[in-house]
Amino acid sequence: MKRLFSSINIRELLRPIGQLAIFSLGSAVILSAIVLLLALIMDKTAVGLGVLARFHVSLFTYTLVNLPQVLIDGLTIGFVYAAIALGYTMVYGVLEFINFAHSEIFAVGAFVGVEILIFLDGLGILSAVPNWAAFLILIGAILAGMLASGLLAVAVERVAYRPLRGASSRLVPLISAIGVSFFLQDAIRMTESLTTGQFNRIFPTFGNFDDRLKFGELPMGANMITLGVSIKSIIVIIAAVLMLVGLNYLVNATKIGKAIRAVAQDRTTANLMGINVNYIISFTFLVGGLLGGAAGVLYALKFTRIDPFVGFFPGLKAFTAAVLGGIGNITGALLGGIVLGMLETFAGSYLGVFTIGAAGTEYKDIFAFGILILVLIFRPQGLMGENVSQKA
Amino acid sequence: MKTLLKNGLKAGIPFGIVSIFLFLIGFNSTIADIILKFIKIDDKTVVFGLTSRPLALLMFMGVIGFWAGTNSGRKIKNKTSSVIILSTLAGLTHGVLVALVSYTIGSLSESGLKINTYLAAMLTQTIKLFLLDKTPLAGAVFMLIFLTIMGALGGLVSFSYDRANTRQKMVSGWKNLTVKINQQPVVRHIQTNPLTRYILYGLILICLIVVPLIAGSYWNYTIGTVGIYVLLGLGLNIIVGMSGLLVLGYVAFFAIGAYTVSLLTAPLPHHLMWNFWWTIPIAMLLAALAGILLGIPVLRMRGDYLAIVTLGFGEIIRILIKSDLLTSFTGGPKGVTAVGGPTLFGRPFSSEIDFVYLIFLAVLFAIFVTVRLQNSRVGRAWEAMREDETVSRAMGIDTLWQKLLAFAIGAALAGLAGVFFASRNQFTGPEDHSLMVSINVLSVVIVGGMGSIPGVIAGAFVLKGLPEILRELENYRVLTFGALLVIMMLVRPEGLIPPSRRKLDTNQDAVLDSKKQDERPE
Repeated sequence: MKRLFSSINIRELLRPIGQLAIFSLGSAVILSAIVLLLALIMDKTAVGLGVLARFHVSLFTYTLVNLPQVLIDGLTIGFVYAAIALGYTMVYGVLEFINFAHSEIFAVGAFVGVEILIFLDGLGILSAVPNWAAFLILIGAILAGMLASGLLAVAVERVAYRPLRGASSRLVPLISAIGVSFFLQDAIRMTESLTTGQFNRIFPTFGNFDDRLKFGELPMGANMITLGVSIKSIIVIIAAVLMLVGLNYLVNATKIGKAIRAVAQDRTTANLMGINVNYIISFTFLVGGLLGGAAGVLYALKFTRIDPFVGFFPGLKAFTAAVLGGIGNITGALLGGIVLGMLETFAGSYLGVFTIGAAGTEYKDIFAFGILILVLIFRPQGLMGENVSQKA
Repeated sequence: MKTLLKNGLKAGIPFGIVSIFLFLIGFNSTIADIILKFIKIDDKTVVFGLTSRPLALLMFMGVIGFWAGTNSGRKIKNKTSSVIILSTLAGLTHGVLVALVSYTIGSLSESGLKINTYLAAMLTQTIKLFLLDKTPLAGAVFMLIFLTIMGALGGLVSFSYDRANTRQKMVSGWKNLTVKINQQPVVRHIQTNPLTRYILYGLILICLIVVPLIAGSYWNYTIGTVGIYVLLGLGLNIIVGMSGLLVLGYVAFFAIGAYTVSLLTAPLPHHLMWNFWWTIPIAMLLAALAGILLGIPVLRMRGDYLAIVTLGFGEIIRILIKSDLLTSFTGGPKGVTAVGGPTLFGRPFSSEIDFVYLIFLAVLFAIFVTVRLQNSRVGRAWEAMREDETVSRAMGIDTLWQKLLAFAIGAALAGLAGVFFASRNQFTGPEDHSLMVSINVLSVVIVGGMGSIPGVIAGAFVLKGLPEILRELENYRVLTFGALLVIMMLVRPEGLIPPSRRKLDTNQDAVLDSKKQDERPE
């Protein structure tokens, strides 16, 4: 027993948790401060008066009261982005290319998980189960989604990327990835429309995932605002944290992780050191696919409705997150995902209020991309990326 | 023997899975119909008790079975008997898998179960066709035997020819032939005579004039779409192909062109009602300006970062167009309708033919610009920049300025394409300008051959024209497109028609690569 403990590197287990906490807290504090400051400044302007007329509270109070909910939502979506972004960043770290098909691998995970649940629901199992069993079933669905996505990612690498390694242009594997992305998207669409006749799938309701844990009420004028967090948000956050910690441990504290890092640094030398490069690259795709698949099922749990094109936007955002944090850098992907999720939720919740409804929620995407462009202009290697010159 | 068995299974299973998949999605009956369209088989034909449709299906299945055989036989070359055994085994595995599935589904269907409630493509008719209009057992057994024989045949063929060697011979034979033809005095005379070139150009011109007159309005619309994509491709070719800047937000410039013409000529939302011809230079200028404005901050970045930033820019433009804030200015999500078209001497351009000619003119103009640029100092600077930015800077090329120039010219061409697109459809909306357009144009450039003008034209025809020709495959269009992109990159990564200078390069690379082969982990 003692030997088992000593073989576990506790530091590597704790470090990512600390990092996640710092990133979450840091971005939460900074964004809250900015929003509250804006609220204070605008309190006496037309914006503040408008809020006062509508909700009978000052803008500052309004902002403050809504803040906890926004933070929790931001964190949830941020962790999902981080989990997808890791798939992009790991592949980029090892192969230096954008795996465009990762968003479809995510979508396949979501579909496999949801289809299994719908099947069980059709048998009438889901509606009858107690909460703990529902929880186990959900875990099973997540694992199934992970498995499907992971294997698919490995297969895609074998068929469409490996033969292109060492191609003359960096664009060649990129186009191949775009092709795979189209192919998978349409394959999902076709399989769905041929087997079920429709391709919008709804995550079945079961268990107590939609319940909200309440931990208080805040007064806002005459109304009371309930503070709470839905169980599914908690599940998403916990699952994502577990995966992120696991991945971090895998990469930083195990032998195969060392091999992955070696391959990322220099493929030829790693090969000379006796590392089976092909195996390691396949393994990287497997891990990225596993994370993407789990993120897919979690995404479906959180947002309920999925269709074959579900992967596109989360994929794009996650890629943005990976670049934001510094692509190829695992810690950077975590940071980028959390920051992007937070930013988006803040923009989505407050932009409408601060501009008196002129700029609605749809601007959150502009916000995300705008921030990305700004960060890249002033810090082209991303927030945590090291300043390495690109290989020619 | 054991390894032989294992290899046979291994070779047969993937083909079995593919065949079953094609069967389950109903692809087989579509393909049978297409085959019947090209090869006329009389309805009364009966071979082995099979009528025309099952025969067509067998042709298709035969090709797959044959392929399974050749594929398995390719692995070992020397031993005749083992090749035959291996390919027969592969064919047998393939056949057994297919027969099992078709028998199961066929007998289920016989017993009155409606399969198409579970698998929408499995109509009774389709299942019947796959069982060759026989009883489930007879059909499945027939298919099994047929696929096994085809596998064995494939193995035989793969044995009798050495693939690499044959290919080499074909290539060198072709080369010798062309060299020989080129050395003939008559041919040389024609080649060196400047008249030949003019005659060739004249012929192409006549083709361009005549083809729209013959083609119907549907085909003219398709030709117009291809032409617009050629324009876009030529523009992106300058940015990606010649200067090596990976841009994924090219659609933004297209949108700027389309919206410029729309807002200036449409009655709503501004009622400006300008003359169409004036909007062309304005749209091109605005697009170029947008290119420069975007370029100044982002062009310091390299490679993938540039790609993602431009992608973000494209999305921002689309979301802005759609947003509430700008609805009064851009028409919002509903887009702009009744976009004005061109008039010439008081006659409005009403039919597709007029637009086809107009687009042809624009394409010729774009080709002219590109060719002149490519052979100029600027073009060579771009090429140097693409090959090695640091070195080109050391050689005294002002890279930022050259990049901006490439951006501006590429953007202006996209703006021009946008003008034609909007005025031909008499409509433009935010969804016409999604990321898909950027990706399609990039595919056109890469599939055609980066940096090559004929390549771009070929790429546009293949990617935008071919799907129109293969209408029967409507349901499988995106699927085929994706697979085609991957296969293209695997088989011919340099593009359909690579540029001549580039070709020289890659050949040299290939020589170097073959020397380096041992060092590279593969």
